[in-house]
Amino acid sequence: MPDAAPGPGNPVTGPPPLLSARGVAKRYGSVVALRSADLVVQPGEIHALLGANGAGKSTLVKILAGVIAGDAGEIAVNGAPVRPRAPSDAMAAGLATVFQDPALIPDLDVGQNLRLTRVDEAAVREWLGRIGLGDLDFDAKVRELPLPVLRLLDLARALAHDPQLLMLDEITAALPADQAEHVFAVMREWKARGRSVLFITHRLAEVMRICDMATVLRDGGNVATVAPSAGDQQDLVAAMLGDVVDEAAAETATHAVPPGAPVVLETRDLRSTDRVNGVSLRLQAGEILGIAALEGQGQDRLFDLLAGDRRPDGGEILVNGQTLHARSPYDAIRQGVVLVPADRLMALLPQRSVRENLAAPLYNTVGRWFGLARDEKERVQRAIDRLSIDTRAQRQARRLSGGNQQKVVVGRWLAAGFRTLLCFDPTRGIDIQTKAQIYDLLRELADEGAAVLLYTSELQEIPLVCDRVLVLYGGAVVDEMAPLAATEEALLTAAHGLARPVGRGG
Amino acid sequence: MFATPAAPARLWLRRHGWTAGVWLLLVVLVAWYATLIPKFGSFQVTSIAKNSLPIVFLSIGQAVVVIGGGIDLGVGGMLIMTNAAAAQLMDGQSLGVVLLIAVGVLAATALLNGLVGWIINVSKVPDIVVTLATGFIYSGFALMILPSPGGGTAGGFRYLFTGSDSGIGTNFWPAVVMVTLPTALVAQWLIRTRTGLSIYATGSDRNASFLSGVRTFRAKVVAYAVGGAFAALAGLATTALTGSGDPRFSIGANAMLNSVAAIVLGGIALTGGIGSVVGAVAAAIILFTLNPILTAIGFDPNTSQVIKGGLIVAVMMVAGLLELRRRRRE
Repeated sequence: MPDAAPGPGNPVTGPPPLLSARGVAKRYGSVVALRSADLVVQPGEIHALLGANGAGKSTLVKILAGVIAGDAGEIAVNGAPVRPRAPSDAMAAGLATVFQDPALIPDLDVGQNLRLTRVDEAAVREWLGRIGLGDLDFDAKVRELPLPVLRLLDLARALAHDPQLLMLDEITAALPADQAEHVFAVMREWKARGRSVLFITHRLAEVMRICDMATVLRDGGNVATVAPSAGDQQDLVAAMLGDVVDEAAAETATHAVPPGAPVVLETRDLRSTDRVNGVSLRLQAGEILGIAALEGQGQDRLFDLLAGDRRPDGGEILVNGQTLHARSPYDAIRQGVVLVPADRLMALLPQRSVRENLAAPLYNTVGRWFGLARDEKERVQRAIDRLSIDTRAQRQARRLSGGNQQKVVVGRWLAAGFRTLLCFDPTRGIDIQTKAQIYDLLRELADEGAAVLLYTSELQEIPLVCDRVLVLYGGAVVDEMAPLAATEEALLTAAHGLARPVGRGG
Repeated sequence: MFATPAAPARLWLRRHGWTAGVWLLLVVLVAWYATLIPKFGSFQVTSIAKNSLPIVFLSIGQAVVVIGGGIDLGVGGMLIMTNAAAAQLMDGQSLGVVLLIAVGVLAATALLNGLVGWIINVSKVPDIVVTLATGFIYSGFALMILPSPGGGTAGGFRYLFTGSDSGIGTNFWPAVVMVTLPTALVAQWLIRTRTGLSIYATGSDRNASFLSGVRTFRAKVVAYAVGGAFAALAGLATTALTGSGDPRFSIGANAMLNSVAAIVLGGIALTGGIGSVVGAVAAAIILFTLNPILTAIGFDPNTSQVIKGGLIVAVMMVAGLLELRRRRRE
């Protein structure tokens, strides 16, 4: 066990750094994914890797983890050069990675997954206990477990491999706040043991809180290596974005919804098994209504019901005052209620072109034999222009970056027309620049008279975009706040079910 | 570990319900068959067990390949090729030599089909295309080895699969053991060993498997090698059953389609990673047993194919409805 004394991570001159990567580069054909990146991680350090989408973070991590082979550059662990050709090589060199998509096999149970990778099950069990999952059933099929649990299970497995360096790619992206805290605690403990963590995230607040060093990438190269401190968050943002004006710091404005605006979507005592227990809400035209909740409080089921993907067991949904009897999303869409789901690939036709994706909802209205009519083509083009979708990789939607994919999903409804937009965590894993564009778009749409229902797992963004916030707990609305009152603290308190219920729901 | 005491039984049913259901269907069919004919005894049991052997072995092999995320359309060609080769080589030899030939044939085919898996991995050509081609190649080899039906094998070898030196008799034990032993071994191998689990993992989610350090390349090669060996075993069983070799293309093509039907009916997802060999074996025996049943109730043999197809569609529809109901309830 090479446990060093829990040093403060000071740059020592004698021993080599834990990880040193120099001039790592990767290109795909003519596309340069990583120009030349350097990264040095000292023992006992929590190191952030930052950058906008497309900056090359994921490519660098994949090269370090042995998923893809770099074209150039040198990687050394404790001074010894390594060249991982497969994830198992990287693991043998002491680098364990938790990828954005959990590397767990959906059709095997948890125990089988662990046996597959030759990991100490007792150690995994112990780590699970520390991150609040001590009662996880090892006989459960991975397919049946929710995403946050899979992320944490993947983390526990990586920890059980006892790596020198733990690489976490966007691990907090889908985690509710309480579970994210468990992850931070584990990261600090890892640091206290003299091991290191490489932390990739879009959330600067997290970087400020727990990271000792930060390496910022832009356009496939290094732009800064700094020790984050409370003051220089704006500097980091500037480094990540380059010359782009910082749009993320949007004003916390209270957009007054015009009084007497029609209620376009209303639910009365909506119920579905034990997930949704009597939700009543009213959404007016021109309003962005936020939903705040920890993971698993019924928000996903609520959106399914509203989108017509599932029929409620009780209560009713009214669209423009008329009861909605949706047998499928088709019925809801015809009433102007459309969904932007969390998983972008679920909504997209990944193999098809951007234009076809945008035009997909129009196919139902096409009355001609050959393709789309000209005005429909124009609607598609307008959507592309308005969203400034980067259409360079337009032949297949799956080749777009995550942010551009999300724009296509939103753009599809722009082309088709809608009155109520249901957005379920639309900015998950998206860089702050695209995020700001998406939020601006939602505001524009609302100003034009659309109604928006927005669930986001990033609580601090709620006051920036929403006109009103409902807090969901245990499948019921437990609190309602104005955006100014909806600080992260207040939301968290309510989301844990601690605040006084306002008498809505069961 | 479970939340409620009722959970284990429900969980078991959800995990293994399909396999149990297929076996139940087999038992019902055999029981029905017993009432249809004047006398049901060890002769009939032997007949069903031994005559199912080729399709059972073929289905086990196909199951392993499909669970690993592939599909092998070459198993039919492999069956007639090994049938022809074995009948040609074994004719007039002593039992010892015959067994040596059998082992040699199994090893060679495992190697050959492992190479097919390797080619699929390296070339990235879809499994269905490569194995369609190998199926033609194997069938061609069969005709080159044995241009017309003929050849033979040792009586002891026939006993091994059929329970008698002449291939006709009432001793059902060898055939029953030949069905159950390989089934149990392969099923345990798949869910207990790391190699077996890596085949499930590769078929379930190749990318996640690779990221978690599973050697997906090797898993696929092993799956194809095992698949090839079982197709060869089906060919050897055919040699023992008929006491000769028959290189006709239609026999192989028919057997291949039956193996795919058996694994689908047996609850194995064509997308990989889901299902069990045990279910596929029951389904394979069902597909064989339908023939004598339909004959017994007086159906024209020509309509039996229609009944088979109808049964597959009906079972899959019931499964789909059950799944839909389960999702609704959740």
